[in-house]
Amino acid sequence: MAPSMAARETNPNFMNGVPELLILRLLKHEEMYGYEIVQAIRARTDAVIAIGEGVVYPVLHALERDGALKSRRKTVNSRSRIYYSVTPAGARRLADLSENWTNLAAAIRKMLVGGQHAQVIS
Amino acid sequence: MPKSFRELRNELRERLLRAGVAPRHVRRYLTELAEHLADLTAEEQRSGRSRTEAESVALTRLGGMESLAKAMIEQRQFRSWCSRVPWATFVLSPLFLLAGAYLVACFILWSGWKIFLPGTSTPFVPINGFAIFYFGFGRLLYYSAPVLIGWGIGLITYRQRFKAVWPAVGWVLMALIGGTADVHASRSAVPGGVGNISMSFVLGPSVHGISYNMFHALTILLLAVLPYLIWRLQKAGSLRA
Repeated sequence: MAPSMAARETNPNFMNGVPELLILRLLKHEEMYGYEIVQAIRARTDAVIAIGEGVVYPVLHALERDGALKSRRKTVNSRSRIYYSVTPAGARRLADLSENWTNLAAAIRKMLVGGQHAQVIS
Repeated sequence: MPKSFRELRNELRERLLRAGVAPRHVRRYLTELAEHLADLTAEEQRSGRSRTEAESVALTRLGGMESLAKAMIEQRQFRSWCSRVPWATFVLSPLFLLAGAYLVACFILWSGWKIFLPGTSTPFVPINGFAIFYFGFGRLLYYSAPVLIGWGIGLITYRQRFKAVWPAVGWVLMALIGGTADVHASRSAVPGGVGNISMSFVLGPSVHGISYNMFHALTILLLAVLPYLIWRLQKAGSLRA
C-alpha cells in the first residue's frame, strides 16, 4: 500500500507569509475551495510544502477579512462549498509577497552557493 | 485524538469560544472543517479504504485538536468584542441601552400627556381608549428594559462561554438603576406651558429596614440572571450526562 496520507508531515511553524503567498498565487486565476487549495499546494510543490489540512481555513478567513480574498457559497454536484477568489487588493498583496520572496530566495541561494565555494577554496 | 468528528467539533467549539473567538467565526470554521472532512473521507474511500478506516484517516489528516485550535486563536482579528473590551460590552453598552430605553419611555409619557391629557396637572391619572396602549407601551418599555438588557448580557455571556465577572457588574448595575429609578412629572409654571418629565434614582422609603426600591432591584437582578442560570444548569446537566 502507498504510504499513508496520515503519515505525511506538514511543515511545522510554517515560514511566515508562505501560506498566504501560495494561496493567493493559486487563487489568482481561478476560484477554489479549501480542500482543493490544500491538495493543489501539495501537488504543485511535490508535497515539499504541506499545509495542515484544517489549519488552512484560519489563513483563508484572515485573508478575506483583510480584503485580499472574497468568498461565495456555491453548490457543485449537490455539494455546497465556500469558494475563494482573489480581489484586486489581494492581487497587489500577491505582487508584494512574490517580490519579497523572490529576493529572499535569491539571497539565500547566493549565500548557499557562496558557502560551497568557500569550502572548496579552503 | 478524538474518536469522532462530533467530539472534535464540540471540543474545538468550546475551546475557541473560551479563547474569545467570535461565535460566527467559530461556526464558519467548524462548517468548513466538516465539509473538508467529507472530501477527505471520500478521497480515502476512493483509494480503497473502508468507510470506518477512511473516516479515521481523514480525521487524522484534518489535524489535531491543538493545531486546529491554535491556528484560529492566533488570528487575533477573530476575537469577539466582548473578549477584547468586556467593560464596554457588559457595562457601557447596557448603560447606553438602558438610558436610550428610559429616554424613549419618558418621551412616550411626555408626548402622551400632551396629546391625550392636555388639561391635567399630571399624566399619572386614569386613562382610557387608545391612550391605554400608548402609555402602556411606554410603561412596558420602562419596566422591562433592565430585565431585557440583563437577558442580553446573559445571552452574550453564555454564547461566548465568558466568565461571569464583567457580566455580573452589568447585571448589578441594571438592577440598581432599574430598581431605584423614579419618574416625575411637573406642570410648567407658565400657563398653557408644556409639562416636564424627569427621573431620579433613590433608594426610597424603607419598610422593616428594607428599602422598597432595593427589593425592586433584587427582583430585577433575579429576573435578569435567571435565563443565564437555567442555561448554565442545563449545560452542567448535559455534561454530566
